[in-house]
Amino acid sequence: MAVSLVSPWPQDGDLQVSLSYLISLVLFLFHSEAAGSPTRGRFNQMETFKIWDVNQKLFYLSNKQLVAGYLQAPNAKLEEKIKVKYTESHDDMFLGIHKKQLWLACVKSGDKVTLQLEEVNITDLGRNKEKAKRFTFHRSHNGTTSSFESAANPGWFLCTESEGDGPVSLTNKPRDVTKVTQFYFQVVA
Amino acid sequence: MFILCMVIVGASAFIIQPEEQTVAVRNCQFRGKHFKKYFRVEEEPVVLRCPHEESWLWTSPHTNIMWHKNDSGRIIPGEDTRMWVQDRALWILPALQRDSGTYVCTIRNASYCDEMSIELRVFENIKASLPFISYLQILTLSTSGLLVCPELSKFTRNKTDLNIQWYKDSTPLDQDNEKFLSLRGTTRLFIHNVSVEDAGYYSCGMTFSHNGTQYNVTRNINVRVNKKEEEPIPVIVSHHQTILASLGSKLTIPCKVFLGVGKKSTSIVWWTANDTNIDSAYPSGRVTEGPDKEYSENNENYIEVPLVFDPVAREDLNTDFKCSVTNKKIFRTLRTRVKEASTFSWEIALAPLSLVFLVFGGICMHRWCKHRTEKAYGLTMIKTDHEDF
Repeated sequence: MAVSLVSPWPQDGDLQVSLSYLISLVLFLFHSEAAGSPTRGRFNQMETFKIWDVNQKLFYLSNKQLVAGYLQAPNAKLEEKIKVKYTESHDDMFLGIHKKQLWLACVKSGDKVTLQLEEVNITDLGRNKEKAKRFTFHRSHNGTTSSFESAANPGWFLCTESEGDGPVSLTNKPRDVTKVTQFYFQVVA
Repeated sequence: MFILCMVIVGASAFIIQPEEQTVAVRNCQFRGKHFKKYFRVEEEPVVLRCPHEESWLWTSPHTNIMWHKNDSGRIIPGEDTRMWVQDRALWILPALQRDSGTYVCTIRNASYCDEMSIELRVFENIKASLPFISYLQILTLSTSGLLVCPELSKFTRNKTDLNIQWYKDSTPLDQDNEKFLSLRGTTRLFIHNVSVEDAGYYSCGMTFSHNGTQYNVTRNINVRVNKKEEEPIPVIVSHHQTILASLGSKLTIPCKVFLGVGKKSTSIVWWTANDTNIDSAYPSGRVTEGPDKEYSENNENYIEVPLVFDPVAREDLNTDFKCSVTNKKIFRTLRTRVKEASTFSWEIALAPLSLVFLVFGGICMHRWCKHRTEKAYGLTMIKTDHEDF
């Protein structure tokens, strides 16, 4: 009975726990001191994609307008690839012309929404959510293909004409047989 | 004198004006070469569209379209009955190798004249011409896809019984089996479950009748088969939920993500503070995303994106920090909170307290033992006394 009254062992166990806390705290603080200098994260990087519609049409520029059509081998260098910058809400994106400062913008005039190429600094624009909205697209996956919906104009999708050399534009009738709204969109290695 | 001068100047202006207009009409403005060149095979019909883009040119009345070949200056329509202009487009039927060259489309009305050129190369219809005349089309392995017989719209218009013939390496395709399906009335070929063997040169074509003569119109396609993009699923390896830190000190929270095995991943990893990008949330740079560290361990790819606090401030204790990763199909996130490492904690307080207890316990025990020894001694004495009794 006397032994159980004065036994120091349970308290010694607490001491071990607190010591291990102390050691881990010291180690953790030391670790944070050894960290490197800050830079911009991976979020800010841009990726390049090859785009073609389900009718095998590629994108190219004609008279400062984005068109979709068929290119023979000697014309292949005309093909425009798409650069992507993600918005802060991670799954929306800005779409631009690779190697150019041109970005796809959806501009509403009356009942129509038209596609424009605009020369902007997208990094600066990305900070202003309201101004950036017309440049924002939401990508939906449909098996191996994707569609791109204007974030500022829900129901309006990026489309090509069913025939070649027509302008890349926006449609609110994605089931219209004269328009193509499904695209292959593959990252360029 | 002044009036006389004015009359002379005015009169000369009147004389010059109509002359300038004739010069403008006579000297057409050259708007450049069409960006696309056309590559066709001999003995087939060729249609070249006038490359002027502005639609108002087409709708304005009294607009005249003229075509000529640049090197010969030959005006079309001319003596050669193989060439004519129809709906503003230049028709060559059938095309010969010697028709290769630059063609100029001139568009003019009373006050306006514009020129644009377009280049045509006519190749011999042999296998060696394929790399120049083929269109590149892409199929994806193990999926179903479409090939399209391109640039036929001028020949398919008003045709109700459109029938496209398809060939692979000059062998006709069995179009109605399970593998290939030529979609009737369209220029498309459906290919089921694409395999590596489906890559290669295809040709497609139709017949076109003109003045009782039938011509073949063929297009060649170089089909590439791409591997299906199998995006590895990223996994956040770090499992911190709450981080202890002292206010005013520097702190780094790493976010380690497993990106998959082998193939380079397209996943992106980033930090947010209350759902705002770190750059925007901290323009002063007090909290930043540290440099990424991408590395491989046994062919397994990892990335570490640290969040650096320099220093930790009180507001950080009430901020919701999230490390997120997405490969555009899957989105994963890990919430992390910063908690103040208090200067007074029970663990630290217990250490000296337990020492006090230990000492106190020791003393008690010592006293108790001493007391028992004395008591026992007393008893022995009594017992001894009793024995003595």
